[in-house]
Amino acid sequence: MSVDDIRAADNDRKKNRYYFDRHTPEYRLQFEKITEEMQSKCPVAWSETYNGHWVAADSKHVFELARCPAVSNHHDLTGETPYQGITIPKAQRATVVRGGILEMDEPEHSTYRGALNPYLSPAAVKRWKPFVDEIVRAALDEKIESGRIDFVDDLANIVPAVLTLAMMGIELKKWPVYSEPAHLSVSTPEHSPDAPRVAELNRQMGIDMINTMNEVRENPRPGLVNALLQLRIDGEPAPDLEILGNLGLIIGGGFDTTTALTAHALEWLSEHPNKRELLSRERDTLLDPATEEFLRYFTPAPGDGRTFSEDIEVEGQQFKEGERLWVSWAMANRDPAVFDSPNEIILDRKGNRHFSFGIGVHRCVGSNVARTVFKSMLTAVLDRMPDYVCDPEGTEHYETIGVIQGMKHLPATFTPGKRLGPGLDETLEKLQRICDEQELARPITERKESAVID
Amino acid sequence: MKVFVDSARCQGHTLCSMIAPDSFELSDIDGTSSPVNEVVPPDQEDAVREAVHSCPEQAITIEE
Repeated sequence: MSVDDIRAADNDRKKNRYYFDRHTPEYRLQFEKITEEMQSKCPVAWSETYNGHWVAADSKHVFELARCPAVSNHHDLTGETPYQGITIPKAQRATVVRGGILEMDEPEHSTYRGALNPYLSPAAVKRWKPFVDEIVRAALDEKIESGRIDFVDDLANIVPAVLTLAMMGIELKKWPVYSEPAHLSVSTPEHSPDAPRVAELNRQMGIDMINTMNEVRENPRPGLVNALLQLRIDGEPAPDLEILGNLGLIIGGGFDTTTALTAHALEWLSEHPNKRELLSRERDTLLDPATEEFLRYFTPAPGDGRTFSEDIEVEGQQFKEGERLWVSWAMANRDPAVFDSPNEIILDRKGNRHFSFGIGVHRCVGSNVARTVFKSMLTAVLDRMPDYVCDPEGTEHYETIGVIQGMKHLPATFTPGKRLGPGLDETLEKLQRICDEQELARPITERKESAVID
Repeated sequence: MKVFVDSARCQGHTLCSMIAPDSFELSDIDGTSSPVNEVVPPDQEDAVREAVHSCPEQAITIEE
């Protein structure tokens, strides 16, 4: 084949083109229109943005590509190959560590994931429910008498952070050290005047993570940090940088996503008070399907980057080794081929096989944590602040939804109520003691009993 | 009706046991699913059909 022949074949492969830039505010504002256009015209498109990459926008291609062995998550830190992990464009932080199991392929991925699973399985997470309910109780008690709350700052930023640290084996009182940079590094653009401060917060979090890792190595204590330290691969411990990459992934995955889901659901329920009342009244049957519907509709983690590791044809489309791909969970979640009235929230939706935790071997390892924490926060708000009204003036969504479809602030007012117990600081001290005494952060293989809050 | 979970496909999304808790049990270790009984009791058939439609990995099959 001549050079011209190759170019012609390449143009033919890339004949479905779409200028796709998910990092612009327009993408958030035009999300439904762009999704419909791509699904009806492409649905797999070649986009020139970010050095060129494929975009899978429909459920069929997303489903097949996410499960395809010729599609790689690997992140080559040397930067010498096209394998750039899950971010498009390449992340700034990416030159130091890989993003844990999410930037590994098999069999390496399963080796590490096997160490994390017994801490995060449905049975393992269920043990934490009384612990989660107690953090929620204390967070709401801080605000219940005032009649005012910011659901992001005062609730949804706190609970996932405290629980994640508890599961890791990190001191609960350190939650702000981790929470602030975890949220701000997603919501702060590189050009923001706040960027240097966010970078510094990130650096401090990194230092604390390294110190914790060294501490736990010296004096083992239960939790995910210990799980990664105890892991042996062909008889050898995992490299420190891979341990840190996984700890970073647990924090990145555990914090901002659940916050985003909770804030969006609470905002929607404020706008639909009849549905809120229905959900509260019929929660025994409605809470599970409604949670899955909020997950589908709001898709906190909107997609992942991948790299083709072979020349391959999938559902009639040809791809070449080294080409990059964006699999859009968020757009697949609005595919009318799978979801009737995809742009509507239907609390008791049937057949809701949504893509929000990903598909294939990389299914979100924290999915059970996310659901448990979300349900605890939501039901407590429905019980204790049933007439809350969000304030659109003070509500602040992330400007872009390229990484997380998140929210910065969601202030609300409600009829004040009575406190049920001590405030957050005192509660965290008590929960730390309970965590230590009952060794709650042990894996399900070592501890079956639920947490007991005294 | 008989029900099968393809263990090579199941990734532990847990929707099946949320929808049909009497028909699917989850591994304590990683949340992957298996049928409680291959033969589905008549009163659970509708819930199992809904679990089939809701499985994100399309890992559940039934034989009517």
